[in-house]
Amino acid sequence: MRRRVSESLRDSLVGEMTNLRAFAVSLCGDRERADDLVQETLFKAWNHLDSFHEGTNLKAWLFTILRNTYFSERRKRRREVEDADGSYAATLATLPEQHGHMEMQDFRAALTWLPDDQREALILVGAAGVSYDEAAEISGCAVGTIKSRVNRARNRLGEMLGMDETTESEPGITKTA
Amino acid sequence: MTQATGAPTRAGVVPSSEEGLSPNLQAHIGRHLRAVFDEVAREPIPDRLLQLLKDLERTGDK
Repeated sequence: MRRRVSESLRDSLVGEMTNLRAFAVSLCGDRERADDLVQETLFKAWNHLDSFHEGTNLKAWLFTILRNTYFSERRKRRREVEDADGSYAATLATLPEQHGHMEMQDFRAALTWLPDDQREALILVGAAGVSYDEAAEISGCAVGTIKSRVNRARNRLGEMLGMDETTESEPGITKTA
Repeated sequence: MTQATGAPTRAGVVPSSEEGLSPNLQAHIGRHLRAVFDEVAREPIPDRLLQLLKDLERTGDK
């Protein structure tokens, strides 16, 4: 069946794709996999466009589809392969495509070490320009939960990067693991 | 690949509970976070995704 998608909705969809990709890459730490996620999200979104009300929050809707896809794959993968969070994240953290200076590399690595739900909350609120309310809607939890995840994520990052009030500029992660 | 299960933490560092970090440190983390995100957000949309959109428009669903 051919879908009738208004020009403006199509344009908005394309307009959100850069953000959606950035969200996907930050969330899973792997560009190729991120593009698979975006592709799947786009596909699902397209086939459920009738459940989307034009004029409402397209970004939040797309983000929700993407994170649900990511988390359900993640659960499946965890059942299939016995892969503890850490070993998987460690693989991602050393991908050769992740260039940039040391501090950024350390930061990316630290990000992948965060528990999924904390990383998600932090990216949404801290980088993707999403409000706490929207983040709660996207993640399907209470606003208070998002706030506490963001706090825990920040604390943990600070810890992992070896930053405290006195050693703020000193990255603490060893790259040899 | 089985031993790497925990985050690298420094011995003796106690997380400063729920109230969070200093504004300085929060800003520092915020800058890095946005840098990671924006780096990707600034890239052009890959062809395969644009192609998918075209295909969807042409055929509707799969």
